[in-house]
Amino acid sequence: MDRIPALHRRIKELANARLQPGVIESFTIVRHPPAGFGTEPYAVALIRLEDGTKVMAQLTRDSAEPMIGATVIPHMRRIRTMSNGLFVNDLKYEVVAMKTAPVFTVISYVLAVSGPSGVGKTTIARQLLTLFHSYAEQVPILTTRKAKKSDTEPYIHVSKEEFDSLLAKKEIISWTHMPSSTEQRYYGYRKRDIEAIWKKGKLPIVVTEINLLKGLVESLGRRAVLSCGLLPPGRSKRLMLSALLHRLRTRGRDTEEQIVERLKIAEADLKAFTDHAHLFDHMLVNDELGVCVETIRELVATVK
Amino acid sequence: MRETVYVLGGAQTKFGELWNKSLSDLIREAVDGAIASTGIMPTDIDMVVIGNMVGGETAEQAHLGTLASSMLPHRPPSLRVEAACASGGLAVHTACAFLESGKAETILVIGAEKLTDVANDIVTSALMRAGDAEKDAPAGLTFPSIFALSATAYMHKYSLKREDLSLVSENSHKAAIKNPYAQFRKEIPAAAISKSPLIADPLRLLDCSPISDGAAAVILSTKHESSVHIAASQLASESLSLTDRESLTSFMSTRTAFVRALSESGWDKNSIDALELHDCFSIATLIHLEDLGYAEEGDAIRIFRQGDAGLDGALPINMSGGLKACGHPIGATGVKQILDCFKQLSGTANNQVTDMKRALAHNLGGVGATCTVHLLENIA
Repeated sequence: MDRIPALHRRIKELANARLQPGVIESFTIVRHPPAGFGTEPYAVALIRLEDGTKVMAQLTRDSAEPMIGATVIPHMRRIRTMSNGLFVNDLKYEVVAMKTAPVFTVISYVLAVSGPSGVGKTTIARQLLTLFHSYAEQVPILTTRKAKKSDTEPYIHVSKEEFDSLLAKKEIISWTHMPSSTEQRYYGYRKRDIEAIWKKGKLPIVVTEINLLKGLVESLGRRAVLSCGLLPPGRSKRLMLSALLHRLRTRGRDTEEQIVERLKIAEADLKAFTDHAHLFDHMLVNDELGVCVETIRELVATVK
Repeated sequence: MRETVYVLGGAQTKFGELWNKSLSDLIREAVDGAIASTGIMPTDIDMVVIGNMVGGETAEQAHLGTLASSMLPHRPPSLRVEAACASGGLAVHTACAFLESGKAETILVIGAEKLTDVANDIVTSALMRAGDAEKDAPAGLTFPSIFALSATAYMHKYSLKREDLSLVSENSHKAAIKNPYAQFRKEIPAAAISKSPLIADPLRLLDCSPISDGAAAVILSTKHESSVHIAASQLASESLSLTDRESLTSFMSTRTAFVRALSESGWDKNSIDALELHDCFSIATLIHLEDLGYAEEGDAIRIFRQGDAGLDGALPINMSGGLKACGHPIGATGVKQILDCFKQLSGTANNQVTDMKRALAHNLGGVGATCTVHLLENIA
């Protein structure tokens, strides 16, 4: 319907409008345009402008491919034809580029390997690092726990105060707290460690547990995390847990008391797989180490 | 509820492209059926409330309250209400308010829409009036494309896969096979849904509820009793334009209406046996399930993956076929949901869920700009 006074009001509004760039929050391609908008499909986006207000607008036809997070700039263009044949102009936005990342946006992805204690995460990560030595690097874990000689993970040891101050400065993008019988332990990932690996053009690998994984997914976006869950062999939960128990005992690193503690956590981890299925892209049974590593290698190769 | 509001009965026309029936034919058929399904006399009705969205544009008929009232011998007072696709739910809510206030004792509630008399262009622009005419529509949006913006954001945020999204429509189509009033009584496998033509990326034809004609009517009363009553009736709003929203992947109106409905009824949400949800688009169902608290954010698809939404599942959803497969004559939908809940609770549904005690009807207008929630219970 052509409401001429409404058009007049819009023209006055445009004359006073400040033209601003913005960022795409969501978009769609209208395949069946309404009357007056032609017959060719076009993209429409919900755009957050520089001053924080949002507008709904068409994207120009010569735009780069729209993406959530892409930067757009305004142009005055013909938007529709009235039934009397006159053209109506309005603002359309051109997609110029992905937002250059001052905050954390997806410029690459992170490979996450998680699973219950004793399932073989560390071994697999080590093999992957050897396999991809030129283009993968493990992300160090920030922790408040005391350094131990038997540590196999790349830990960065900090005090609780340092940890808190990093948290406050938003430098830690994912963290968790695990009380143990002897001390309060905090673990986290620093934004700058992951960014540094990306800057080298390498793939960050994290060997992680469910809370840290959740945090990573929240900060980086679900699509920026290729997440593999590792299951111990066994058809039932009971068999899986006994396989773990066997492994924990044979590796001889922990006391029996610690083993029981680890098993409890493992049981919760197994449950987390079902409760948080959406956090995982692939579930792999670590039955034969070589096969498992090869599977992950193929997954990574497909993404690249 | 300040008064016990009973659902005495109701009826609906078949939903679909009904070229042989006019808007008033549809209303008359539903009204006659509804009165016949109860033991009351037409003159027992002391008020008529009708929900309709675009009668003026697509049937050249406004003034629908009196049109419906004229079908009764004593011409009771009447009114028409409108809240886009939630017009039907709003009609029921309005009737409840009149009954609770004592202004009326027995109300005939109708929902009706006639869409297929006019060309597609006219229906498309009429339906877009559910959105914001100044902030959203001028960019050339159609109604499916507004929901597509939600779908794009949801899929991006939670990494939902296309194949998974199709499970939602598949579930509705499967349920509709047994519903003689449904527009599409055919099983459609998820794979075919994923390959249907694009309407507004990422939504495809079979993600969208159809353009339908149809009417439904129920009779509510505080004077005459039955085994089914309405335990809660709530209405909530959210900003009309998407440009004023915080989130594209959650509708505050659903959350508000449901929280209030639970407190009004004193129910626990897990005591509800089956849901009739406003599945205007496949993506909407997932958002509703999360807003209603039946799934964590981003995780609603699990209910469909696990087969919980089916007749034998833990939480049967849209056993009528929903808007997707039963059809979506805009104003009729909210009333038809109440009718379907009534059938389930009185043990006369075609896809009868066993041991039905409590049901929920969730009706939405626009992209979650209006929401009505009704809770119904069998108290026999």
